[in-house]
Amino acid sequence: MTAKSPFRLLAVIPARNEAATVADVVRGVIAATGADVLVVSDASDDATAELARSAGAQVIELPCRLGAWGAAQTGMRYARRRRYAMVLTLDADGQHHPHELPALLAEQRRSGANVVIGTYAERLSAAKRLAWRYFHLLTGIGVQDFTSGLRVYDRRAVRTLASRHASLLDYQDLGVLMLLRKNGLTLQELPTVMSPRRQGGSRVFSSWLMVARYMLHTTVLCFAQIGTGRRQRAARAGAAT
Amino acid sequence: MTAQITSGLISVLLAGAILYLVRRDHLHGSYALWWLAVAGAILVLGVFPPVIDWLGRLTAINYAPILPIIIGIGMILIRMLKMDIDRSRRERQLRRLAQKLAILEHEIVELRRANHADDEPKAPKPADLPRIAGRR
Repeated sequence: MTAKSPFRLLAVIPARNEAATVADVVRGVIAATGADVLVVSDASDDATAELARSAGAQVIELPCRLGAWGAAQTGMRYARRRRYAMVLTLDADGQHHPHELPALLAEQRRSGANVVIGTYAERLSAAKRLAWRYFHLLTGIGVQDFTSGLRVYDRRAVRTLASRHASLLDYQDLGVLMLLRKNGLTLQELPTVMSPRRQGGSRVFSSWLMVARYMLHTTVLCFAQIGTGRRQRAARAGAAT
Repeated sequence: MTAQITSGLISVLLAGAILYLVRRDHLHGSYALWWLAVAGAILVLGVFPPVIDWLGRLTAINYAPILPIIIGIGMILIRMLKMDIDRSRRERQLRRLAQKLAILEHEIVELRRANHADDEPKAPKPADLPRIAGRR
């Protein structure tokens, strides 16, 4: 097992058929942060798992497809089992630059936020901006790039996200953010630079049909959550007085 | 009178089929109870259709035969809702089981490799082992 650093950090990389990029990403993360790296292969059909392992990552292979969030959550549960203090997630397709990670971690230490999201506002397409505006209206969550998979979670956030309540989510996006807010955790954003995906397109925003499905799905999710944050805050305020 | 025989026959067949399946233990606990109640209701309404007219008078519904249909459709909707709730619960369990399976598999491989590296198999130190306890 790898050496224990003073603040134990686990980098979780959910990957499905990312053989082309996963090894580079793993090596980059190890070089940039020195963290333990865990690749969760979402029932990949290619050599993702072997390549990640030979690049120096721990690899967990899911027996069936659970989606990007299902894979990321597996990492959260692993982190809790191994008592990591913090979890960093990033995509396996190489769009997140490992050399941005130290800044993200520093931002977490500086702000003390439970979650720090690395955002890249420039990459947002018109459709995404519109979607964001719409969801901002629905939920009141002021995060710019809510689908960004580049995030740092502290112990409390990991505990929340490893729980059963997060298991029926499908993407690491608004559903996750709403759950965090519901539990009174704080979010912080840090602008970063990302490259366009080397491999394939966005999973969520790949076709109009997918976009429609995603919007509908997330809207329903919002309706299930609406008001809970406000109620919680009111309850806390009531308890404080 | 023939109408009553027809409906009686149908209801006896339906209730008989349900009873048979419950007796064969094909239905789990609360489901069996639900279906026994359904079989009972079918039997009563099928064999004694005047019950329907009596219910119609009781609820002030002019066209009494619509009553069991409405109640029946309502019951079907509730049942379907319950089924989807159960399916969601099961999906959650399935996902968590798949995750745990993958994590445990990873740990087995790790332990095996550690044992091989040591050449002689020895028990892992308790500190190296994550706690098994805790919720799924």
